[in-house]
Amino acid sequence: MSQYPYEYYVDIVTKQYFHGVDNFEIGRVLDCFHKDAVLQVMTSNTLHDGIDAINMMFTGLFETNSRIWHGNFIHTVDIKRQSICSQFSVEVTSRDEGLLRYENCNRFYLEEGKYKKVYVYMSGENLLK
Amino acid sequence: MQYQSNLNEQQLIDLAVNQYFGNVDKKDLEAVLNCFHDNAMLTVQTAFTQHEGKQNIGRMFKDFFDSYDVIVHRDFTYTVDETNGRIVASFIAELKDSEGNMSYLHNTNFWRIRDNKFQEVYVYMSGENPLV
Repeated sequence: MSQYPYEYYVDIVTKQYFHGVDNFEIGRVLDCFHKDAVLQVMTSNTLHDGIDAINMMFTGLFETNSRIWHGNFIHTVDIKRQSICSQFSVEVTSRDEGLLRYENCNRFYLEEGKYKKVYVYMSGENLLK
Repeated sequence: MQYQSNLNEQQLIDLAVNQYFGNVDKKDLEAVLNCFHDNAMLTVQTAFTQHEGKQNIGRMFKDFFDSYDVIVHRDFTYTVDETNGRIVASFIAELKDSEGNMSYLHNTNFWRIRDNKFQEVYVYMSGENPLV
């Protein structure tokens, strides 16, 4: 098992994943996931199984919103268990509903430096459909 | 806020799972409250519900204990950040009310520890909030 340092986990979540989401860079976002990764929104019991399903979900998210921002991060990092859990604020400007704000958390479980499982909790209506 | 904790990995897990949830499931209010600082804050983030101070947290737990005959927390998965005094656990909460109705929640808690007790607790729930 490869051992990645503490900052690797913080960087993949903030500098690669959420930076990619906030800048509508689908390639940068998908690079974080294994091909057989799953992303599950626990607060709406929505499952995206595999990189193609995750890609489709993010494509829809990018088409629906003109602005996406993630910030105010607080991370809990466990190198031994290859996981990082992050709390953060989200602001989204929806093309239909205007500005939406959420206080969410994600649990990321990695293997060999990439996401294998991601669990999302949202404080409002599910955006990741 | 960054707090200083003196607990190691196993002590963080013991605090969150055995001392806290173990005693929630036993409805031992005093033992549960002993996990919190007097000025601790418990927030159910998915419902924007906040309980500030041990007294208010105690009131919330008393109502919670009165609302359910059986409370079980199980199937924990931990993420432990010993350096920063933080622990996260996902788990199943199994609740049975007085009429025998069962509720199952797939929740995640974030705990921030100052010294050896909870200073901040954040709860993210997969369903309706029973911690009111």
